Amino acid sequence: MRAGRAGLLAATAALALAWGTAEAQTRTPRDALVMAWNIDAILTMDPAQIGEVVTDEIVNNTCDPMIFQNVDDPAKLEPGLAERWDISEDGKTYTFHLRRGLKHPSGNPVTAQDAAWSIRRVLYLGFGNAAQYTQWGLSKEKAEEQVRAVDEHTLQVTVPEPWPPSLFLYVFTGRQGFILDRKTIEPHVGTRADGASDYGNGWLKTNTACIGPYRLTRWTASDTVILERNANYWRGEVPLRRVIIRHVAESAAQRLQLERGDIDIARDLNAEDLAAVDANPNLKLNAALRHQLYYIGANMDHPILGNDDVRMAMRYLVDYQGLERTVMRYSGRAWNSFAPQGAFGALPPERGLIYRLDLDKAREYLAKAGHANGFTVKLMHGTAFPAPDIAQHFQANAAKVGIRVEIEQMASGQLFSRMRDRNFELAFLGWSPGYPDADANASRHVFNPDNRAEARQGMFLSWRASFYREWFNDAVQRARLERDPEQRKLMYYEIQERFMREGPFMYNFQQVRQLAMRNEVREFKHHAFKVFYTTARK
Amino acid sequence: MTAEVRTGAPAHGGLRAWLLAETVTSPAQARAQKLYLGWRRFASNPLALIGLGIVVMLILLAIFAPLVATYDPFAQSLERRLLPPSGAHWLGTDELGRDIWSRIAYGARITLMIVLLVALIAAPLGLLIGTVAGYLGGWVDVALMRLVDVFLSFPGLILALAFVAALGSGLENAIIAIALTAWPPIARLARAETLTVRRADYIAAVRLAGASDLRIIVRHIMPICIPSVIIRITLNMAGIILTAAGLGFLGLGAQPPSPEWGAMLSTGRAYMLGSWWLAAMPGIAILVVSLGFNLLGDALRDVLDPRAS
Amino acid sequence: MAAGGTAVASRGGAGAAGRDRADRLRRLGREVFRQASAVGISLFGLLAITFFIGRMLPLDPVIAVIGDDAPQSTYDMVYRELGLDRPLWEQFAIYVGKVLRGDFGVALNTSNRVADDLLRVFPATVELATVSIVIGVGLGIPFGVIAAVHRGRMIDHIVRVVGLIGYSAPNFWLGLMGLVVFYATLGWVGGPGRVSVFYIDMIEPRTGFLLIDSLLENEPDVFWSAVEHIILPASILGYSSTAYIARMTRSFMLEQLSQEYVITARVKGLSRARVVWRHAFPNIMVQLVTVIALAYAFLLEGAVLTETVFAWPGFGRYLTLGLLAGDMNVVLACTLIVGLTFIVLNLISDILYHLLDPRTR
Repeated sequence: MRAGRAGLLAATAALALAWGTAEAQTRTPRDALVMAWNIDAILTMDPAQIGEVVTDEIVNNTCDPMIFQNVDDPAKLEPGLAERWDISEDGKTYTFHLRRGLKHPSGNPVTAQDAAWSIRRVLYLGFGNAAQYTQWGLSKEKAEEQVRAVDEHTLQVTVPEPWPPSLFLYVFTGRQGFILDRKTIEPHVGTRADGASDYGNGWLKTNTACIGPYRLTRWTASDTVILERNANYWRGEVPLRRVIIRHVAESAAQRLQLERGDIDIARDLNAEDLAAVDANPNLKLNAALRHQLYYIGANMDHPILGNDDVRMAMRYLVDYQGLERTVMRYSGRAWNSFAPQGAFGALPPERGLIYRLDLDKAREYLAKAGHANGFTVKLMHGTAFPAPDIAQHFQANAAKVGIRVEIEQMASGQLFSRMRDRNFELAFLGWSPGYPDADANASRHVFNPDNRAEARQGMFLSWRASFYREWFNDAVQRARLERDPEQRKLMYYEIQERFMREGPFMYNFQQVRQLAMRNEVREFKHHAFKVFYTTARK
Repeated sequence: MTAEVRTGAPAHGGLRAWLLAETVTSPAQARAQKLYLGWRRFASNPLALIGLGIVVMLILLAIFAPLVATYDPFAQSLERRLLPPSGAHWLGTDELGRDIWSRIAYGARITLMIVLLVALIAAPLGLLIGTVAGYLGGWVDVALMRLVDVFLSFPGLILALAFVAALGSGLENAIIAIALTAWPPIARLARAETLTVRRADYIAAVRLAGASDLRIIVRHIMPICIPSVIIRITLNMAGIILTAAGLGFLGLGAQPPSPEWGAMLSTGRAYMLGSWWLAAMPGIAILVVSLGFNLLGDALRDVLDPRAS
Repeated sequence: MAAGGTAVASRGGAGAAGRDRADRLRRLGREVFRQASAVGISLFGLLAITFFIGRMLPLDPVIAVIGDDAPQSTYDMVYRELGLDRPLWEQFAIYVGKVLRGDFGVALNTSNRVADDLLRVFPATVELATVSIVIGVGLGIPFGVIAAVHRGRMIDHIVRVVGLIGYSAPNFWLGLMGLVVFYATLGWVGGPGRVSVFYIDMIEPRTGFLLIDSLLENEPDVFWSAVEHIILPASILGYSSTAYIARMTRSFMLEQLSQEYVITARVKGLSRARVVWRHAFPNIMVQLVTVIALAYAFLLEGAVLTETVFAWPGFGRYLTLGLLAGDMNVVLACTLIVGLTFIVLNLISDILYHLLDPRTR
């Protein structure tokens, strides 16, 4: 015990010293933004294939989509490479008028043919991003007629149903809506295993060819990403010449670098280190509520978990408010519904966070389900924060009402493949929707097109959890076609409130993106869906 | 040697005289004398005693964990998370408000189980393969040693990961995996020892008396190798604990909320700058225990290995 | 080899030297051939075992490529594209065939050819390991000898305990503490990464060793920045090597010091330093070569956690990431390299052993 005290004193002294000298001025290039970030996840730069946040952020600063999301409000759409668009009387044909005189970095003009090819290749390649189009009825087979270049500057997209435009147009704000430089890419087109064209997928893994504020000049896996600004960017040159992303995986190492001024922004700080940044007068935090939700999912095929009352009991086994104050203080907001706060159709706060830790309620529901004596169940999760913390918290509370939770930690690759095989009982996971609308998650978490095991509808979380209820399927389909926004909102309220009671997913937190930066960095903007390097100054 | 004995503690009656008698009257006395002299040599080395003390402490801690623990090692409290060491929580609390001292006390059981089971699996396996290869020689030797080489040149993590992945995660499987990566060095050692004795006269005599190869290996060669194998495995204990910690770090060792020291250490990593005790306490525990095993192993070598004297 | 020959000649007498040498060369040749074929067999075995265990891993490389929410049809296509639908033995045969032609395939994690990745990450690790082993040898041997000479005294105990701590302290802990003290507080060394952000793309890799490349391009600033960044991780890794080498040196030395010739030399009145360094030490060099080779081989395997803490783009992390993603092209190529490193270092130390040590002849 005495040794413990002495160690404490020594460590405190060392840390006090560390903070004492940490106020050294910034030691990064004046015209460059230096970020420390764990970039292990980057595996390709092809916008059609990208599926994780790091690369998404990078390509969104190197490529412009047809439609921009406002830098402050992701729900506000602004003209991008398309300067305006019309919608036909029947609501099924969208005509986009591209800006004239735009040139790719190669000097090739930006054309509607490029745009049509870029959209079709997403469909042809069929990676996860293709779902952004296929969910609206666009398909690989009909792509030629559904997506057409009328002339050099006019693109027409035809969908089979009159979707609410506010929903459908989001598809052109993301990475699947970039216009790529077809002429530059075509010489590099290869073939895939089945003999079909790879539409430049192989070459685009390590190259970018599109119009945007920055261009990628270097990507060294698990080491460095360097972006260089485009001199003749059509919206005017951005303030900072370069963005340098250095791979640093360890939160503590990032924090030391930030305190010392060797980096401008740290991206992966944990709660401890964020608190330290918060308290440091030279540094600041800049937060945005993302739409990523954390949840514990149950497999409905499980004889006990399939019972609605059992899952109801489990919803009362998490101290949402307590965790929000402590473990999740910087990284999440408690939330119980599938439509994240900030999305169109999300419930008002008092209706979207209705559960709390209540062991008596949990016991009550267990008794009602006929499991008053408890049972044993397996919970799998990945190794990244906050999975282990929340899983153990849930485990400890479950033990108090007689549910023995056995935890299995595993690498994320294994986790996802077991989910897709429906090979789990309970799982702690996260999910990010593609656009700020309740429909984004309703169509994946609630709606299930075909619950048969052999249907292999792994892209639907509902299928993975084997959740299939007619009422929900109908309700989601109807809401999606409702063109009156007020009415549509009410329909989502109803779906959410029922899903909070019957659904297989027990949502607990909505993720917060925290950027820890030095005071010198100004006007760095980010919102739920995008991070903009374009406005930042130093 | 004798000088050391004479400068020891004051005489203690007949037993001591019997243990030190110049003329030995029975085989039992001879063995007892040998043990006693070994112990005297051992006890004259302060580091050896420290090592022994640490290992004994670990065993006591494991046995009496429920008595010495001040809290339930699994009881969480969000209000009392990340508290520094104090009178209420001797070694502080962790990220979920659990008492670290109580977790370390219970974790001693897991640590002890890991090292014992690994030793019990790896030592016999390595011993068997090494002695068979060394005694039989020829193509058996070549084949077995190639196998040992292959296992030795494997990146350790891959091998352990592969076994764990194949068997499923969990502590028991992690133990088996570690044991399967720990036997090759022992096999090498046992083979080297066997090579030095297999041409010995007494082995030839036994063979002439008609003993089978199996009997020779089991009854006459293995006993010769056992001391050095025991020493080697004792010296490996630190590595074993750290490998278990490494697997825990990848989520493949002991599963939460188990208070396995390695798992505690790797969780504590995230809190090192702000709440240093989360990593430092289990880290120090691992350090002390592996120090203990190493000192003990060194001392055993000095006592048991005639060449080192 | 020449050195070995002279040593033998001086021991064996002038007349027999020529015949002796020819004989030894022949035996050496046979030995080298035997070892080389053994290396081939070992590597093949290594590859086969890795391949088949790798396929048993419940990790799905397809998910890593297509993302979590791709439809099943894409999954099936990529599954075929990666050749996973073929029988195992056929996959293995195809792989071995490609490797024999020098093609290690493409890494899913980085989208580069594995061979190109290795040319990047392995030099980074070799550079770190080499500086570490220099530290380890430079400190470990003197400490080991001093401990042996003063056996049982305070200095011996201190060397042993400090060594054992180096042996059993987790490297990531030492690494982070090192960063707090020497980087954040004192500012003596550079932070994580191989070089300061100002020089990040100044050097085109030629050898892949930043310390050498920066000198080749005549950029002393970059060189010093690289030195500043390598010194802390190398010291942390060097500490464990120091501990190991000191420990082995001590025990080899103890054995020598108890030999008759040492006692005789002392009786003749030679100084202790002279006896230790001129008489006893040369006799343990052969054994030390083996120990150092082994320590170096372990360093070359790459220390994942140290590389993680120091953001060192090295081999250990590359292998671990590949493994966790189920990327068998990466895992197999890395296993081959580690296996080859071990075997080659073993072989070199075996040959040295045969050449230098009179007792093994």
